[in-house]
Amino acid sequence: MSAPPRGTAAGIDPAAPGAEDAVIPPTVALHAPTGRSWRAFLEPLAVLLIGAAWMLYVENSDLDSIEERSLKPDYVWQKTWEHIELTVVSTVVVLAIAIPLGILLSRVWARPATPFVLAVANIGQSAPAIGVVVLLAVIFGIGFWTTVVALVAYGVLPALRNTMVGLQQVDPTLIDAGRGIGMSPAMVLARVELPLATPVILAGIRTTLVLMVGTASIASFISGGGLGDLITTGVSTQRNPVLLTGCVLIALLALLIDWLGGMATRLLAPKGL
Amino acid sequence: MISLEGTVSFWEYLGSRRERLWFETWQHASMVFQTVLAALVIGVLVGLLVYRSERLSALATSTAGVIFTVPSLALLGLLITPLGLGVAPSVVALTLYSLLPIVRNTVVGLSGVDRTLVDAARGIGMTRTAILLRVELPLAWPVILTGVRVSTQLAMGIGAIAAYVSGPGLGEQIFSGLARLGGANAINMTLAGTLGIVLLALIFDGCFVLIGRLTTPRGIRV
Repeated sequence: MSAPPRGTAAGIDPAAPGAEDAVIPPTVALHAPTGRSWRAFLEPLAVLLIGAAWMLYVENSDLDSIEERSLKPDYVWQKTWEHIELTVVSTVVVLAIAIPLGILLSRVWARPATPFVLAVANIGQSAPAIGVVVLLAVIFGIGFWTTVVALVAYGVLPALRNTMVGLQQVDPTLIDAGRGIGMSPAMVLARVELPLATPVILAGIRTTLVLMVGTASIASFISGGGLGDLITTGVSTQRNPVLLTGCVLIALLALLIDWLGGMATRLLAPKGL
Repeated sequence: MISLEGTVSFWEYLGSRRERLWFETWQHASMVFQTVLAALVIGVLVGLLVYRSERLSALATSTAGVIFTVPSLALLGLLITPLGLGVAPSVVALTLYSLLPIVRNTVVGLSGVDRTLVDAARGIGMTRTAILLRVELPLAWPVILTGVRVSTQLAMGIGAIAAYVSGPGLGEQIFSGLARLGGANAINMTLAGTLGIVLLALIFDGCFVLIGRLTTPRGIRV
């Protein structure tokens, strides 16, 4: 699949985030900004068209009874919905933990702890997602909520790191200026630091969303539902159409969510930055 | 909570499976090393081909970005159909994922080289190839190496999922743990696989810091 047009090319920062990389602080979006022209909507349109075409093709091809059962539109839709649920619920929980904690840890009195937290975040990040998921299933049993806990455990460190880095890179002279004109520390946080850190924090939301869509696909290993179920069914029953449908839909969903995240980043960023 | 009947302690488990675990750790390390090396060669070549044109650079990075956004389980699944189970799909998937950070950083590193330095090099009579090999690539190297570090860390984690398509490495421990969920040793297996990968990732990262120190040209060392 070739890359959809993404509008004008922009400077790419060496520190731009990839979907799953958080080793370098993400400061600039991976894809070039698209502006608000109609071309911004080519990508989701292409994704939806490919998805619809694939489903039409699969539903109309010659299926045996196992394939038919796993590819019923209702069932596929239910799995897609479960996948979206897993992604959204875990992203919301990750952000609800990571953003306040990141703000707390970047206050002046907590500064000594910063290198320690970042080191732990770095080490924790090298734990493989599948390991974390299975480990939690061994401890808490299988199911939807274990999956959410595992996804959150996996996603919280990059998001925390991202928030802290975002707040750290705010120009200290601006904070001093805020203090100088008589703002309280809380006001400096709310009116100087947070607005300036917004782009980085928003980029982190997008990164978290994409990370969660991908990780949610291994939820099926611990009965967490989602489109991964089609992949595992396809592999265990050796039915390629089922396997491929799972793969194609997960890939398209990830691209769609990445696009949504990118749009949100652009629309919510404070003007003037 | 889990019942501990019939299970052995984690250390006993490590001791009793020492050889198997060493073998899988070695497999994992060697798979990651080889795929990242392949991605480094391909990625730098792609970077060299596109970095002079802004359009081509944007195309290469966004294509790699699309591949990168596709979740690993999905990509592995898609590769089963043409390549079958085993080493082949794992290696191809890991190489593809490792490409993005390397391509991106090569392009950024090369286009970040100060043009006046290139002019100066041409001024003292260096050929195009000599400029590339002795001026541009050395200056871009630290940025490229950062890309390699990111790729390696990614490949470590995705390599674990590769065990699902019968790929080699420590992922086997995790999937054996999953298959024995609730049974004896499930937690030991999963823990051994997970911690083994974390350790490998840390060792590799340490090596990269060292390589970075040794290979960064003296003039631009910070």
